[in-house]
Amino acid sequence: MRRLFKARYAVPAGLVGCVGLLGLFGFSPGPAQAVGTPSTATPVTATTSSSSLPTPIGQPTAPSVSSALKATSPSNKTGIFYVNLPASFIAPGQALFAANCSSCHGPEANGSTGVAPNLQGLGAGTVDFWVSTGRMPLAIPGVQATRKPPRFDRLQTLEIAAWVQSLTPGVGTQIPVVDTSSADLESGGTLFTLNCAACHTITGAGDALMDGAYAPSLHLATTTQVVEAIRSGPGNMPRFGSGNITNTEARDIAAYIHGVIQHPSNPGGFALGGIGPVGEGFVGLLLGVGILMLVCFWIGERT
Amino acid sequence: MIDKSLRWVDDRLGIAKGGRTFLDKIFPDHWSFMLGEIALYSFVVLMVTGVFLTLYYVPSAHEIVYHGSYIPLRGQKVSEAYSSTVGLSFDVKSGLLMRQAHHWAADIFLGSIAVHMARVFFTGAFRKPRELNWIVGVSMLMLGIINGFLGYSLPDDLVSGTGIRIAFSIVESIPLVGSYLAFFLFGGNYPGNGVIIPRFYVLHVLIVPLVIMGLLGAHLGLLVKQKHTQFKGKGKTENNVVGSPMFPTFMAKTTGFLFMTTAVIFLLGGFAQINPIWQFGQYEPFQISYAVQPDWYMGWLDGAARIMPSWEFVGWGHTIPLEIFLPAIIFPGIIFNIFVFWPFIESHHTKDLAYHNLLDRPRDRPKRTAAGAAMLSLLFMTFSASSTDVMANFFQVPLKDVLWFFRFAVIIVPIVAYVVTYKICNEMRAAEGVGKRKRAQIILRSPAGEYTTVESEPRPGDGHEELDAIPVPTYIDLVPPELATGAGVRRVIR
Repeated sequence: MRRLFKARYAVPAGLVGCVGLLGLFGFSPGPAQAVGTPSTATPVTATTSSSSLPTPIGQPTAPSVSSALKATSPSNKTGIFYVNLPASFIAPGQALFAANCSSCHGPEANGSTGVAPNLQGLGAGTVDFWVSTGRMPLAIPGVQATRKPPRFDRLQTLEIAAWVQSLTPGVGTQIPVVDTSSADLESGGTLFTLNCAACHTITGAGDALMDGAYAPSLHLATTTQVVEAIRSGPGNMPRFGSGNITNTEARDIAAYIHGVIQHPSNPGGFALGGIGPVGEGFVGLLLGVGILMLVCFWIGERT
Repeated sequence: MIDKSLRWVDDRLGIAKGGRTFLDKIFPDHWSFMLGEIALYSFVVLMVTGVFLTLYYVPSAHEIVYHGSYIPLRGQKVSEAYSSTVGLSFDVKSGLLMRQAHHWAADIFLGSIAVHMARVFFTGAFRKPRELNWIVGVSMLMLGIINGFLGYSLPDDLVSGTGIRIAFSIVESIPLVGSYLAFFLFGGNYPGNGVIIPRFYVLHVLIVPLVIMGLLGAHLGLLVKQKHTQFKGKGKTENNVVGSPMFPTFMAKTTGFLFMTTAVIFLLGGFAQINPIWQFGQYEPFQISYAVQPDWYMGWLDGAARIMPSWEFVGWGHTIPLEIFLPAIIFPGIIFNIFVFWPFIESHHTKDLAYHNLLDRPRDRPKRTAAGAAMLSLLFMTFSASSTDVMANFFQVPLKDVLWFFRFAVIIVPIVAYVVTYKICNEMRAAEGVGKRKRAQIILRSPAGEYTTVESEPRPGDGHEELDAIPVPTYIDLVPPELATGAGVRRVIR
């Protein structure tokens, strides 16, 4: 046996064996605990949090965020209610619009041909989506506006939305407040797979579409923005009316995106970007085969 | 005691002779000769983890309501195959580790086969008399890819279901027999009546692995029978093998390597998540996720199908969808035929019919090396084309531009690779000492004032190092002692 260990390669090989055993026995996790992550299913009611959340219908002015969300309104059983922006928002909104938006969309928000679309009749929800995701004001004209940090705070955004809405009262997409506390994640998951995954991918990572357009990642979208997008259909996205997707279903989808897509259960370790076999192939070939080739290089002869 | 029992067995079975051949088997010590062992040992890991998985997996498309511990799926109607795969990931102790290790082992198995095959190709180890073993190896690669696809399909999740749908279309695209064959395989029109999961299961866990094991036995048997090749070097001729014996040196080395391969696979299985099927959901034929790729070893086929223009042939009342038939049937058919027949193509071209036990340096066979580089770059380009959408999204360029880039790249890049490799090989052959590390030049001044330059000592790792002498253990000695001594190496007369 002494001769065995005198052999030049026996020592590295023995070391390798020890490391291997450690790897085999040291890293066997128990049954996955982080199953389904009930915490991700908890409602997040303050996604549109701001001290200046608008007044739901029939409420006194300037309520707190939580009281606004608990407010009872006719459509609240669905988990979504649409807010009526106070009239006091309209005047400051007009000033903001004139200073930041009117150079393209025109002083009356009716757009200009070939430059910017007519905003009249689109509703406060549409304006809120484009401004709160930072897509408007546009940084670079291109095929598709890109998400970026919003230029306006929550109050300013709602003021602009209130002014555009005031041009065509009662028409267009309204701003939803989404209560996910009693949402059905299973229904949300099924609806997401059926309606959203074909472009946004099943993990919500987004991907390139034809002609330079792309389906954006859903990892930053708030529940309000999700429902606004469903109802207004920004860019290439189809517009889903309440005949296609009811308010309850929109609430379930928003809850699924917030609870599962944005907080996926990854008990298997590093998620590798959540983009599937491309990332896995890189890791398998570069790390897996790569490390083992280095081991070959280590324990083999190099001439 | 051991001696006695061995003698008992030998008296009845006569194992001593075969055992001695085995223990005396000489392994040349070059590191690149160990690449195939990665494949061997990841195959071992595949078998062990695979057996574990079969204890919990239910190969059935029967629909049940999911009641496991992954909350977003609760109450959803899923197949037993999907439900049991999610269940073994979440509710079985170390089940997820085993599942992930199995998947990583498959990726590494095929990756190491590719690397090993490249080594054999570029050094000319496939030449006479080893053409048969080359073909056995190529067959294992083909079966490995097929079995990888079958296993990937078994969880019945949204992503793999899309793959099965594509496989159905590929079979259907074969002229004349396609639709009959597809209906036969799937037990009717797509998605069949639930027979495809059990059928894939039997193929994946029994039939294909059995064939691979048979071929593996043949591969190693031929290796022992024909003995190893070796690089040119001191004391190495066409008629001997210089290296370490199986026992004790190589056995210690290779056992360590088994543990190391297992360690890397299980570390990946424990820390890097692969194929999180609970995020994808159950496969339904009317649902689809965008941005779906197959596992890497299918990528070159997927990429070829992606960049193929949409051509089809219509005539005599039939339609042949060339857009899928050419990239998914004809293209891999051509590639694998080139692989299988390469030894004969080359010997036909070079008129070289001699036995070869000494390996070539890649630079000394510029045409072969250039052809290999062209083939690798062609496969790499089609492989990369499998992620056109990911690239378009990542680099923010239109998808169409990426598609057109690859349509040209698959033709231009291999040609460029051939020419460049050919030139580099010729340049390297022409210049002396290319690829060797430079030594320091030491300038000395003699007492008389004369300057001279001498080269420094070789650095560790430069050139061939002789092993320390290992006296051959007498109990396995078969060769005459004068052949068994020497600078730490043993020589076996062929």
